Amino acid sequence: MTDRRCKQIFAALSEYLDGELPVKNCRELERHLKDCKPCLAYLENLKTTIQACRDLRVSKIPRPAARVRAALRKAVLER
Amino acid sequence: MNAQVEQALEILRGGDPQALDRAIESLQGAVYSFGMKVCGNPHDAEDTAQETLIRLARSLKDFPDARALAVWLYKVAKTQCLMSRRKSKFAPAEMLSLDALMPDHGAASPAASKSWAITPEEVVLHRESRARLEEAVLALPKSYRLVLILRDMEQLNTREVAEVLEISEETVKMRLHRARAFVRNALEKYFREA
Repeated sequence: MTDRRCKQIFAALSEYLDGELPVKNCRELERHLKDCKPCLAYLENLKTTIQACRDLRVSKIPRPAARVRAALRKAVLER
Repeated sequence: MNAQVEQALEILRGGDPQALDRAIESLQGAVYSFGMKVCGNPHDAEDTAQETLIRLARSLKDFPDARALAVWLYKVAKTQCLMSRRKSKFAPAEMLSLDALMPDHGAASPAASKSWAITPEEVVLHRESRARLEEAVLALPKSYRLVLILRDMEQLNTREVAEVLEISEETVKMRLHRARAFVRNALEKYFREA
Protein backbone atom coordinates (compact mmCIF):
# COMPACT_ATOMS: atom_id res chain seq x y z
CA MET A 1 0.00 0.00 0.00
CA THR A 2 2.42 2.60 -1.13
CA ASP A 3 -0.16 4.88 -2.65
CA ARG A 4 -1.22 7.71 -0.31
CA ARG A 5 -4.88 7.08 -1.05
CA CYS A 6 -4.47 3.39 -0.19
CA LYS A 7 -3.02 4.40 3.17
CA GLN A 8 -6.01 6.61 3.92
CA ILE A 9 -8.36 3.79 2.91
CA PHE A 10 -6.46 1.29 5.04
CA ALA A 11 -6.81 3.48 8.12
CA ALA A 12 -10.61 3.65 7.68
CA LEU A 13 -11.38 -0.01 6.94
CA SER A 14 -12.45 -1.07 10.43
CA GLU A 15 -14.74 1.91 10.91
CA TYR A 16 -16.23 1.12 7.49
CA LEU A 17 -16.87 -2.51 8.41
CA ASP A 18 -18.34 -1.50 11.77
CA GLY A 19 -20.72 0.98 10.16
CA GLU A 20 -19.05 3.83 12.04
CA LEU A 21 -17.66 5.72 9.03
CA PRO A 22 -19.57 8.81 7.83
CA VAL A 23 -21.64 8.15 4.67
CA LYS A 24 -19.56 10.57 2.56
CA ASN A 25 -16.35 8.74 3.47
CA CYS A 26 -18.03 5.38 2.76
CA ARG A 27 -18.81 6.45 -0.79
CA GLU A 28 -15.23 7.60 -1.35
CA LEU A 29 -13.90 4.34 0.07
CA GLU A 30 -16.21 2.25 -2.11
CA ARG A 31 -15.14 4.20 -5.21
CA HIS A 32 -11.52 3.44 -4.39
CA LEU A 33 -12.21 -0.24 -3.76
CA LYS A 34 -13.77 -0.61 -7.22
CA ASP A 35 -10.43 0.21 -8.81
CA CYS A 36 -7.97 -1.16 -6.27
CA LYS A 37 -7.84 -4.94 -6.08
CA PRO A 38 -5.20 -5.11 -3.32
CA CYS A 39 -7.30 -2.86 -1.04
CA LEU A 40 -10.41 -4.90 -1.83
CA ALA A 41 -8.59 -8.15 -1.05
CA TYR A 42 -7.27 -6.64 2.17
CA LEU A 43 -10.82 -5.67 3.16
CA GLU A 44 -12.16 -9.15 2.38
CA ASN A 45 -9.41 -10.81 4.41
CA LEU A 46 -9.94 -8.37 7.27
CA LYS A 47 -13.63 -9.35 7.27
CA THR A 48 -12.67 -13.03 7.42
CA THR A 49 -10.32 -12.28 10.34
CA ILE A 50 -12.98 -10.40 12.30
CA GLN A 51 -15.58 -13.12 11.75
CA ALA A 52 -13.08 -15.83 12.74
CA CYS A 53 -12.43 -13.90 15.98
CA ARG A 54 -16.19 -13.78 16.60
CA ASP A 55 -16.45 -17.52 15.95
CA LEU A 56 -13.66 -18.48 18.37
CA ARG A 57 -15.09 -20.46 21.26
CA VAL A 58 -13.30 -21.67 24.35
CA SER A 59 -13.76 -25.37 24.99
CA LYS A 60 -13.59 -27.31 28.26
CA ILE A 61 -15.12 -24.73 30.55
CA PRO A 62 -14.92 -25.92 34.19
CA ARG A 63 -17.99 -25.94 36.42
CA PRO A 64 -18.27 -22.96 38.78
CA ALA A 65 -16.40 -23.51 42.05
CA ALA A 66 -18.59 -24.45 45.02
CA ARG A 67 -17.69 -21.20 46.83
CA VAL A 68 -18.72 -19.15 43.78
CA ARG A 69 -22.03 -20.96 43.49
CA ALA A 70 -22.70 -20.56 47.23
CA ALA A 71 -21.78 -16.85 47.29
CA LEU A 72 -23.96 -16.01 44.30
CA ARG A 73 -26.93 -18.05 45.56
CA LYS A 74 -26.67 -16.33 48.94
CA ALA A 75 -26.42 -12.86 47.38
CA VAL A 76 -29.43 -13.45 45.12
CA LEU A 77 -31.68 -15.10 47.70
CA GLU A 78 -30.92 -12.47 50.36
CA ARG A 79 -31.74 -9.52 48.11
CA MET B 1 -23.20 -5.85 25.25
CA ASN B 2 -22.61 -9.58 25.36
CA ALA B 3 -26.17 -10.94 25.36
CA GLN B 4 -25.25 -14.07 27.35
CA VAL B 5 -23.76 -11.98 30.17
CA GLU B 6 -26.55 -9.42 30.23
CA GLN B 7 -29.24 -12.11 30.28
CA ALA B 8 -27.55 -14.01 33.12
CA LEU B 9 -27.17 -10.81 35.15
CA GLU B 10 -30.87 -10.01 34.60
CA ILE B 11 -31.72 -13.42 36.07
CA LEU B 12 -29.50 -12.81 39.12
CA ARG B 13 -31.01 -9.38 39.64
CA GLY B 14 -34.52 -10.80 39.24
CA GLY B 15 -33.81 -13.43 41.91
CA ASP B 16 -35.61 -16.33 40.20
CA PRO B 17 -34.33 -19.40 42.12
CA GLN B 18 -35.37 -21.76 39.28
CA ALA B 19 -33.08 -20.05 36.78
CA LEU B 20 -30.23 -19.34 39.18
CA ASP B 21 -28.00 -22.35 38.43
CA ARG B 22 -28.29 -21.79 34.70
CA ALA B 23 -27.36 -18.11 35.11
CA ILE B 24 -24.32 -18.96 37.28
CA GLU B 25 -23.13 -21.57 34.72
CA SER B 26 -23.58 -19.02 31.98
CA LEU B 27 -21.55 -16.36 33.80
CA GLN B 28 -18.85 -18.89 34.64
CA GLY B 29 -18.63 -19.75 30.92
CA ALA B 30 -18.49 -16.13 29.86
CA VAL B 31 -15.90 -14.96 32.39
CA TYR B 32 -13.74 -18.09 32.05
CA SER B 33 -13.75 -17.73 28.26
CA PHE B 34 -12.81 -14.07 28.54
CA GLY B 35 -9.97 -15.03 30.90
CA MET B 36 -8.71 -17.72 28.51
CA LYS B 37 -8.67 -15.31 25.58
CA VAL B 38 -6.90 -12.57 27.52
CA CYS B 39 -4.49 -14.63 29.68
CA GLY B 40 -4.02 -17.65 27.41
CA ASN B 41 -3.92 -20.31 30.13
CA PRO B 42 -6.58 -22.23 32.06
CA HIS B 43 -5.16 -21.53 35.55
CA ASP B 44 -5.38 -17.77 35.19
CA ALA B 45 -8.76 -18.08 33.48
CA GLU B 46 -10.08 -20.12 36.41
CA ASP B 47 -8.67 -17.64 38.96
CA THR B 48 -10.21 -14.79 36.97
CA ALA B 49 -13.61 -16.48 36.89
CA GLN B 50 -13.60 -17.29 40.63
CA GLU B 51 -12.45 -13.89 41.86
CA THR B 52 -14.69 -11.97 39.47
CA LEU B 53 -17.82 -13.94 40.37
CA ILE B 54 -17.12 -13.74 44.11
CA ARG B 55 -16.85 -9.96 43.75
CA LEU B 56 -20.07 -9.99 41.72
CA ALA B 57 -21.87 -11.65 44.63
CA ARG B 58 -20.81 -8.75 46.89
CA SER B 59 -21.79 -6.04 44.39
CA LEU B 60 -24.97 -7.41 42.88
CA LYS B 61 -27.20 -4.87 44.57
CA ASP B 62 -25.06 -1.83 43.78
CA PHE B 63 -25.99 -1.32 40.13
CA PRO B 64 -29.10 0.19 38.55
CA ASP B 65 -29.35 -2.27 35.66
CA ALA B 66 -27.80 -5.36 34.08
CA ARG B 67 -25.87 -3.35 31.47
CA ALA B 68 -24.08 -1.23 34.09
CA LEU B 69 -23.37 -4.40 36.03
CA ALA B 70 -21.98 -6.10 32.91
CA VAL B 71 -19.60 -3.18 32.25
CA TRP B 72 -18.44 -3.43 35.88
CA LEU B 73 -18.05 -7.23 35.54
CA TYR B 74 -15.74 -6.86 32.53
CA LYS B 75 -13.75 -4.18 34.38
CA VAL B 76 -13.19 -6.56 37.29
CA ALA B 77 -12.38 -9.52 35.01
CA LYS B 78 -9.90 -7.40 33.06
CA THR B 79 -8.19 -6.26 36.27
CA GLN B 80 -8.02 -9.85 37.53
CA CYS B 81 -6.39 -10.95 34.26
CA LEU B 82 -3.80 -8.18 34.45
CA MET B 83 -3.01 -9.13 38.05
CA SER B 84 -2.72 -12.84 37.31
CA ARG B 85 0.38 -14.57 38.58
CA ARG B 86 1.46 -15.51 35.08
CA LYS B 87 1.31 -11.93 33.89
CA SER B 88 4.87 -12.09 32.56
CA LYS B 89 3.40 -13.99 29.61
CA PHE B 90 1.79 -10.81 28.40
CA ALA B 91 3.46 -9.33 25.39
CA PRO B 92 5.42 -6.18 26.31
CA ALA B 93 3.50 -2.91 26.31
CA GLU B 94 4.19 -1.27 23.00
CA MET B 95 2.54 0.77 20.30
CA LEU B 96 1.47 -0.81 17.02
CA SER B 97 2.31 1.59 14.23
CA LEU B 98 -0.20 1.93 11.40
CA ASP B 99 2.61 2.25 8.86
CA ALA B 100 4.21 -0.99 10.02
CA LEU B 101 0.89 -2.83 9.72
CA MET B 102 0.16 -1.66 6.18
CA PRO B 103 1.25 -4.13 3.52
CA ASP B 104 3.14 -2.73 0.58
CA HIS B 105 1.05 -3.46 -2.53
CA GLY B 106 4.00 -2.91 -4.81
CA ALA B 107 6.40 -5.22 -3.03
CA ALA B 108 3.88 -7.88 -2.07
CA SER B 109 3.59 -11.21 -3.83
CA PRO B 110 0.56 -11.69 -6.12
CA ALA B 111 -0.97 -13.87 -3.37
CA ALA B 112 -1.11 -10.85 -1.06
CA SER B 113 -3.53 -9.15 -3.45
CA LYS B 114 -6.04 -11.98 -3.34
CA SER B 115 -8.83 -12.89 -0.97
CA TRP B 116 -8.06 -16.01 1.04
CA ALA B 117 -9.79 -19.12 -0.21
CA ILE B 118 -11.05 -19.91 3.27
CA THR B 119 -14.15 -19.02 5.25
CA PRO B 120 -14.07 -17.76 8.86
CA GLU B 121 -15.67 -21.05 9.96
CA GLU B 122 -12.83 -22.97 8.30
CA VAL B 123 -10.20 -20.77 9.98
CA VAL B 124 -11.66 -21.71 13.35
CA LEU B 125 -12.30 -25.38 12.52
CA HIS B 126 -8.83 -26.18 11.19
CA ARG B 127 -6.51 -26.93 14.05
CA GLU B 128 -3.47 -25.12 12.64
CA SER B 129 -5.17 -21.95 11.44
CA ARG B 130 -7.11 -21.75 14.70
CA ALA B 131 -3.83 -22.09 16.63
CA ARG B 132 -2.30 -19.30 14.51
CA LEU B 133 -5.29 -17.09 15.20
CA GLU B 134 -5.08 -17.70 18.96
CA GLU B 135 -1.31 -17.12 18.93
CA ALA B 136 -1.72 -13.86 17.03
CA VAL B 137 -4.29 -12.58 19.55
CA LEU B 138 -1.99 -13.51 22.45
CA ALA B 139 0.96 -11.84 20.72
CA LEU B 140 -0.87 -8.50 20.69
CA PRO B 141 0.28 -5.93 23.26
CA LYS B 142 -2.28 -6.16 26.06
CA SER B 143 -3.90 -2.76 25.49
CA TYR B 144 -4.73 -3.81 21.91
CA ARG B 145 -5.62 -7.38 22.85
CA LEU B 146 -8.21 -6.25 25.38
CA VAL B 147 -9.90 -4.00 22.83
CA LEU B 148 -10.03 -6.76 20.20
CA ILE B 149 -11.40 -9.32 22.66
CA LEU B 150 -14.02 -7.01 24.14
CA ARG B 151 -15.17 -5.65 20.79
CA ASP B 152 -14.92 -8.60 18.40
CA MET B 153 -15.24 -11.59 20.69
CA GLU B 154 -17.37 -10.34 23.58
CA GLN B 155 -19.50 -8.21 21.26
CA LEU B 156 -19.39 -5.02 23.33
CA ASN B 157 -19.95 -1.82 21.36
CA THR B 158 -17.36 0.95 21.09
CA ARG B 159 -18.84 2.98 23.97
CA GLU B 160 -18.97 -0.04 26.28
CA VAL B 161 -15.35 -0.97 25.51
CA ALA B 162 -14.35 2.63 26.24
CA GLU B 163 -16.17 2.42 29.59
CA VAL B 164 -14.59 -0.90 30.56
CA LEU B 165 -11.07 0.21 29.69
CA GLU B 166 -11.56 3.85 30.77
CA ILE B 167 -10.27 5.23 27.48
CA SER B 168 -11.86 7.39 24.79
CA GLU B 169 -13.98 5.94 21.99
CA GLU B 170 -11.46 7.29 19.48
CA THR B 171 -8.69 5.32 21.20
CA VAL B 172 -10.87 2.18 21.11
CA LYS B 173 -11.35 2.59 17.35
CA MET B 174 -7.66 3.24 16.75
CA ARG B 175 -6.51 0.25 18.80
CA LEU B 176 -9.20 -2.01 17.34
CA HIS B 177 -8.16 -1.39 13.77
CA ARG B 178 -4.48 -1.93 14.51
CA ALA B 179 -5.21 -5.10 16.49
CA ARG B 180 -7.35 -6.50 13.67
CA ALA B 181 -4.69 -5.63 11.09
CA PHE B 182 -2.02 -7.31 13.25
CA VAL B 183 -4.05 -10.52 13.49
CA ARG B 184 -5.01 -10.38 9.81
CA ASN B 185 -1.36 -10.00 8.81
CA ALA B 186 -0.38 -12.97 11.00
CA LEU B 187 -3.01 -15.13 9.27
CA GLU B 188 -1.90 -13.82 5.86
CA LYS B 189 1.67 -14.93 6.64
CA TYR B 190 0.41 -18.36 7.69
CA PHE B 191 -1.74 -18.86 4.58
CA ARG B 192 1.11 -17.76 2.33
CA GLU B 193 3.49 -20.25 3.93
CA ALA B 194 0.98 -23.10 4.17
